[in-house]
Amino acid sequence: MKTKITELLGIEYPIIQGGMAWVAEHNLAAAVSNAGGLGLIGAASAPPEVVREEIRKCKELTDKPFGVNVMLLNPNAEEVAKVVVEEGVKVVTTGAGNPSKFMEMWKAAGVKVIPVVASVAMAKMMERAGADAVVAEGMESGGHIGSTTTMALVPQVVDGVSIPVIAAGGIADGRGFAAAMMLGAEGVQMGTRFVAAKESIVHANYKEKLIKAKDIDSTVTGMSTGHPVRSIKNKMTKEYLRLEKEGADFMELEKLTLGSLRNAVMDGDVINGTVMAGQIAGLVKAEDSCQDIILEIMNDAKKLLGK
Amino acid sequence: MLEKLVAIIEEKLNVEGMEITEATSFQDDLDADSLDLFELTMALEEEFGVEIPSEELSSFTTVGSVLTYLEEKGVQA
Repeated sequence: MKTKITELLGIEYPIIQGGMAWVAEHNLAAAVSNAGGLGLIGAASAPPEVVREEIRKCKELTDKPFGVNVMLLNPNAEEVAKVVVEEGVKVVTTGAGNPSKFMEMWKAAGVKVIPVVASVAMAKMMERAGADAVVAEGMESGGHIGSTTTMALVPQVVDGVSIPVIAAGGIADGRGFAAAMMLGAEGVQMGTRFVAAKESIVHANYKEKLIKAKDIDSTVTGMSTGHPVRSIKNKMTKEYLRLEKEGADFMELEKLTLGSLRNAVMDGDVINGTVMAGQIAGLVKAEDSCQDIILEIMNDAKKLLGK
Repeated sequence: MLEKLVAIIEEKLNVEGMEITEATSFQDDLDADSLDLFELTMALEEEFGVEIPSEELSSFTTVGSVLTYLEEKGVQA
């Protein structure tokens, strides 16, 4: 399927894998890219040299384009931004802030820059700063979220900018993909479905929790801190929400989540860890390969879109 | 100038009826988040015909800080 996003990124299918912290490492990214989508390495708060190593390992596994998600709140963001250029990465997505200060360096190196946005004004500002496309991410997503839904956000962003828009949040199958296209998107980004993929390195407990999750099993913690996070309900989220309701201060809440995503992803602590996942987790029923996921979505979407 | 700025803030951040002075903090007093600041910046650009690079947003902590920024840019209200 050809869209502005497949042309921009030189990929076969307009499906991008989210740059999830801890989860989006080289095995998953390479598998998605090899299947014709765009895999991402999530730099999150990893040290720059670890990111460089991930990029090099990914190159060994695929000769297709892949990208890096740069988390701008990371104190190392500047060094990571440079590593991306030095390693010849072709695509960068950015999260948690404003990538303007790196834009010149990336553009000069021919890197395609795709900021993740949660509002029309932010999308417009990124377009002006030179972004090649934006990911409009609704609050159905897992992990750090905004406050507008995909259904409402995507068409408004599409109307607000002239660069291509990639829809994210709540998309896990061909129906979601087709719906995103109807809203005016030129591609989709998916996280949750790929977390459960065969090539995903998350702990078996994490995958099991995600695959067993129902429609109403996710919740949002951290509304009061200004950094809301969606994850699957467990002992930690219940404790967090109780403390939040009692008006606990930021530091006390932080204690609960410090290292908690890592603990869930790497050690399989799904009781006290943070099992980040989107609302669409209920739709994810099996551990499929990235290739099967992408082909299934494209086949179903083509039928629905009459293409 | 302050009056005009306050009117824009009131409308864009939905804070009509709240007390807004130069000392008002966007985050602490108006519960504004980063998306609100993007919104406000776009409105200021439109109203005053200036371009505000998005790097400046992090320096917008209080109403007064925005006022100073606009004055330094030579904006006449």
